[in-house]
Amino acid sequence: MPIHEKSLIRPENIISHENLEIDGIDVSGHWSTFIKPRVVTDYNEDTEEEIAALPGGEFIHRCWQCGSCTNSCTVNALDPEFNPRYWIYLARLGMEDELLRDKDRIWQCVSCNKCTYSCPRDVNPEGVMKAMSHWLELKGHTPTSPSMQFDEEFSGQVFETGRIEEGRIIRGFFKRTGQNLMQDWLVELVKRLIRGLPVKLLMTMGLANIFRPRTRGWGPAREAIEEYVAERKMADRKALGLDEPGIAEQESEQ
Amino acid sequence: MSKPVLVIGGGPAGLAAAHALASVGRNVTLIEKEDRLGGAPILSGYAKLVPSGEWAKDAIGGMVGRVEGNGLVDVRLNTTVKAFDGTPGAFSAILSDESKIDAGAAVLCTGFTHFDPVNKPEWGFGTFQDVVTTTQVEQMISSGNGVRCPSDGRKPKRVAILLCVGSRDRQIGREWCSKVCCTVSSNLGMEIREELPDTHVYIYYMDIRTFGLYEDLYYWRSQEEFKIKYIKSRIAKVTSDGERLIVKGEDTLVKRPISIPFDLVVHAIGMDPNVDNLLLSSVFDVELEGHQFLKRASTYDSMAGTSRPGVFVAGAATGPETIDDSIAQGQAAAMAVLSILSQAAAE
Ligand SMILES: Cc1cc2nc3c(=O)[nH]c(=O)nc-3n(C[C@H](O)[C@H](O)[C@H](O)COP(=O)(O)OP(=O)(O)OC[C@H]3O[C@@H](n4cnc5c(N)ncnc54)[C@H](O)[C@@H]3O)c2cc1C
Ligand code: SF4
Ligand code: SF4
Ligand code: SF4
Repeated sequence: MPIHEKSLIRPENIISHENLEIDGIDVSGHWSTFIKPRVVTDYNEDTEEEIAALPGGEFIHRCWQCGSCTNSCTVNALDPEFNPRYWIYLARLGMEDELLRDKDRIWQCVSCNKCTYSCPRDVNPEGVMKAMSHWLELKGHTPTSPSMQFDEEFSGQVFETGRIEEGRIIRGFFKRTGQNLMQDWLVELVKRLIRGLPVKLLMTMGLANIFRPRTRGWGPAREAIEEYVAERKMADRKALGLDEPGIAEQESEQ
Repeated sequence: MSKPVLVIGGGPAGLAAAHALASVGRNVTLIEKEDRLGGAPILSGYAKLVPSGEWAKDAIGGMVGRVEGNGLVDVRLNTTVKAFDGTPGAFSAILSDESKIDAGAAVLCTGFTHFDPVNKPEWGFGTFQDVVTTTQVEQMISSGNGVRCPSDGRKPKRVAILLCVGSRDRQIGREWCSKVCCTVSSNLGMEIREELPDTHVYIYYMDIRTFGLYEDLYYWRSQEEFKIKYIKSRIAKVTSDGERLIVKGEDTLVKRPISIPFDLVVHAIGMDPNVDNLLLSSVFDVELEGHQFLKRASTYDSMAGTSRPGVFVAGAATGPETIDDSIAQGQAAAMAVLSILSQAAAE
């Protein structure tokens, strides 16, 4: 079918020919532009189960596509293409190609949980969004997102010492994300803090940065937490068939 | 002794009417055209019923046993009514075996006919062996043989249930919703998943009408506990790639054409008016309503009435109905019969 409103179609689905002759008639250029039909030809039954196996994704199968999540969504109000309902649908039916087109949007969920409160089926869409981002990352479709980097830096410190120290988190986060620490706004912030805060507090903060105090007797807690985190990570990877190439290969051969 | 009440049709509605009348001491002649009582659930071999979860052969079989064992009910199998004449309290009927009986009143409980999906050839029934109906799947389950592809007896890995086959379709003159098929389909889907946990079940729908209390018990439960997937779409066509069936249509939520392989495609067939309705209408001189079901008189002044005084109607004869409602209507018709007979006796 020749088309005119090209802006409505995804560029990769537009086929056009420089020179095309049909039945002796020259239909080059404008007249030879076609839309490639995008037919769903199969469902991948594993996608839903994989996402459901990640924390937050447990209730994805309850979704009946009412759209309440998208209607209440904070990010959707800014970006109409941000559509949790749609992604839940794609994930449920295993339309992975479609899901991957939006891989750079999905992680933009701000975890405000408005969707969670409006969902009539208790799907916990916020959790599903988190699981979906996690899935994309574990499968190697997206790099670790900045917010995940922040979370890792933050929780890493808590696990290690039982405490957090803001200055260290900011430095660690900037380092992980390859950002320069000497950013104008940050330098200005620190200057003002120094000007505004009581000297005693500033001293405590400075010392904390140098000596890294720990919560007393934290060792056993740290071990337990680290063990749990490692277990959880193993379980997540296993659910996605990532650590056992042997099994995945056997299945795909059948 | 008072004249018997003629009950035509031995399905859930007729069994309920006959039992109710007999239990207050009335004689009943129960006319059934098939060789067994029980109606669609027994004749078509349904599996577990909505909403009780009981096997049809136990639940409806129990109703049959109660009627057959009752001395006041005279059961005539393989029989129909050829002629019917008279006035309330004094009717007479000639049966297909030429016998003549008197009756005080008549209750038509003649039910429905299953839609025959060869009338929707584009959906592959009659062309591909592995396209079957909900009644066939009910039989696979109730017979204990399990759900299999008829072509080669294999266990299906992926099953599609197409809703509204022969309902809500102006193209073929079926403008009604058959009311039970959404719930029956989600029930069947759960039974399939129970038997074959590795089989995936997809239900293609226009609207889901699991009305009343069936919402959470069937629609929700089938998704939450049994992981059945519901896809909003209208199927254009069922074909085959030589190995598997291919279901083609449009997924209206992603606005995309679909062309998905399946092992087994199940038509959720609707409830047609009984093929005998024109004959019944002329023999009993009762009117049909616009869809060719038996016309019910105003419910507000004559429970279970037809256009003819003394002739009553109950169950799926009046339009798509559930078993529970058919039974309730059978009992209501019995009540209406009693009140008209006591009036006739007083006059
Ligand atoms: C696949 C499928 C599954 C279903 N499952 C359920 C379920 O799980 N739960 C539920 O509530 N409902 C279910 N239903 C609906 C259920 O079948 C009807 O509600 C029920 O059968 C109606 O009972 P009835 O007595 O009115 O009619 P019928 O069951 O149709 O009985 C009518 C009887 O009358 C006889 N008869 C017909 N014409 C004549 C004549 N001219 N002379 C003499 N006898 C005649 C017939 O042989 C039959 O025995 C299902 C329907 C379908 C299609
Ligand atoms: S939690 Fe995420 S998906 Fe849900 S409303 Fe907020 S931004 Fe939208
Ligand atoms: S609000 Fe809940 S049920 Fe509705 S579309 Fe979103 S996740 Fe699905
Ligand atoms: S009950 Fe459901 S499947 Fe049956 S006709 Fe109505 S909408 Fe269609």
